[in-house]
Amino acid sequence: MLINRKRGTTPATQDYEPAYFCNIPRRKACPASGSQQLCRGARSRGAARMSRIFARTMPVMHARRAAAIWCVLAILALAVLMASLALGSVPLTPARVFAALMPLSSHSGAPADLAGEIVRSLRLPRALAGFACGALLAVAGALLQVLLRNPLAEPYVLGVSGGAASFALFAMMAGSAWWLVDASAFAGAFVSILLVLGLARRELWRGEPQDTSPRLLLTGAVIAAGWGALITLLLTLAPDNRLRGMLFWLTGDLNGGGLPWIALAALVVVLVAILPAAPQLNVLLRGDAAAQALGVPVMSLRLRVYLVASLAAAAAVTTGGTIGFVGLVVPHTLRLAFGNDQRMLLPAAALGGGVAVMGADLVARTVIAPAQLPVGVITALIGVPVFLWMLLRRPR
Amino acid sequence: MTIRTTPPAPSTGSTLSVQQVTLRAGTRTLLDRFTHTFYPGEVWCIAGPNGAGKTTLISTLAGLLQPAAGHVELDGLRVAAWPPVSLAQRRALMPQSVHDAFSASVLEIVMLNRFPHLAGWGWERPGDRAAAHAALDLLGLADFASRDVLSLSGGERQRVALAAVLCQDAPLLLLDEPLSHLDLHYQIDCLEALTAWAAERKRTVVFSCHDLNLARRFATHGLLLDGAGGAFAGPVRDVLTPALASRAFGYPLILLQDGGHEALIPAPRSPDVQQGTAGPVP
Repeated sequence: MLINRKRGTTPATQDYEPAYFCNIPRRKACPASGSQQLCRGARSRGAARMSRIFARTMPVMHARRAAAIWCVLAILALAVLMASLALGSVPLTPARVFAALMPLSSHSGAPADLAGEIVRSLRLPRALAGFACGALLAVAGALLQVLLRNPLAEPYVLGVSGGAASFALFAMMAGSAWWLVDASAFAGAFVSILLVLGLARRELWRGEPQDTSPRLLLTGAVIAAGWGALITLLLTLAPDNRLRGMLFWLTGDLNGGGLPWIALAALVVVLVAILPAAPQLNVLLRGDAAAQALGVPVMSLRLRVYLVASLAAAAAVTTGGTIGFVGLVVPHTLRLAFGNDQRMLLPAAALGGGVAVMGADLVARTVIAPAQLPVGVITALIGVPVFLWMLLRRPR
Repeated sequence: MTIRTTPPAPSTGSTLSVQQVTLRAGTRTLLDRFTHTFYPGEVWCIAGPNGAGKTTLISTLAGLLQPAAGHVELDGLRVAAWPPVSLAQRRALMPQSVHDAFSASVLEIVMLNRFPHLAGWGWERPGDRAAAHAALDLLGLADFASRDVLSLSGGERQRVALAAVLCQDAPLLLLDEPLSHLDLHYQIDCLEALTAWAAERKRTVVFSCHDLNLARRFATHGLLLDGAGGAFAGPVRDVLTPALASRAFGYPLILLQDGGHEALIPAPRSPDVQQGTAGPVP
């Protein structure tokens, strides 16, 4: 009976003309009713068991629970920050780290001064840059996953990083100063954003809302592929003495001593621009028509999400190169742990992404010290198995 | 954050009026200069063959689509002129299909439809949670509250979507194929819940449906589209008649009556029909 019913319902979903079947169940109900009830009983028992499982894993999000999650992540971030400041080729005690951070401590003895210099001008900027990059990438990933309604979306999927990398590598090939490389990266990201905006204008800012996300995704993916080809071309043409630096940049590296302040400022701008729209993003996930019917201005929201996510990705890539997997894995990990409420998820992604990259960079510069690895290697080495495990362990 | 005009009290019914509306799909005219008013307390079924414009009409009524000509008014104000959030407090739309890409509990999905009622930082208040639970209870989905939407079957998803629009608590409900994917007993349960819900506070329900017999049994009024510009509107038993339905669907239907029961069924094909001559006259 169960099989029959399943067979019976499948075609009905496609082309439903019940005028033809409307009086069949009435006649056939009596002999089959026993087994039908059995099926239904088994199903509801299964449902009850399922609901018990999910009741444990999927509690409803509310403001207090979100705040608790943010607090835990913030404490974790502070702990990793402390570790980043204390550990390295010159290990420092927490007390000396604190002393170094105090503005007056610089006038004490010479060794303390050295420790202060290491903390203030080497470790702190690098840790902050790592935090900002991770936060920007995770927020961008979470936003693009909502915009494209696709769990596999990540900050680089629409070509922002490809544009940045192409321009940055070109600048490196020409032997430019670091600030020119950074500026080129940002310019490249900007060019790529404009390109997608122009080509996918109907999906992003013109025309009526319709569920056309695949087109935007394909447009971005093709542009990203184009940048990829250009990057390969640049790498083949590059002189040998510059190749190592270029590869480090491509993998994602915080060793360049870039400015954390630009990335931190971008993080603040990104959060201020998108957090008020978090309730609308929840609704947008239900589809354009449903969101529009609930009073969400879908087109302007999509444009805003795209611009904010692109800015975040551009700022992160400019600061730390194309650090991989953070934008994909961090939002998913938080989703699996705490649910997909964007009001909770976006700030949590910022904190979690920051922790991830700051922690990965700590590993990258201590694990084979005094040599350093590019941070992107660590995030990818950890990210790939974590992501595969998350993908495969879920029964669907 | 969002500017809200003061909407009428939620208990009052909404009147939806269609003025000289023309709908087109490509070069085809689906509906030609249609003028009509839906009043509070009425339950309307929109019927018609595939591609007749049921979904287009419902989207237009909801204000999501601009008609090729004419306009739609809700409570005397054009839907395009309503502030979106105020409009969402007055009319709810259930689109034909919603695909969820991410896990979420059923309760969270249902509660999303409280969006037009959120204030401040956009967190739900206890009243919103209570409305969502009440809507789930109404459709017998209380046990589903903490289930993952991705684990639901097509029919369960459809009932959850219906609970979601009910918890939006708007006096006008527009439903695009709310009964698709549902087993017969759920179709009847849902229609009973809907008609009771409409009668309770003089709310208006407009739904599209392929089952003419369920429409005749549960709707108060029917709107039959023929897909060629024509539309018939009126009390459901005057509109979903064998003669009009046969013409609209392009297949002869007959009305069987047995005691108090009646059913519209497709006329059996006689052998001469298969040879291409005239079919039975309804």
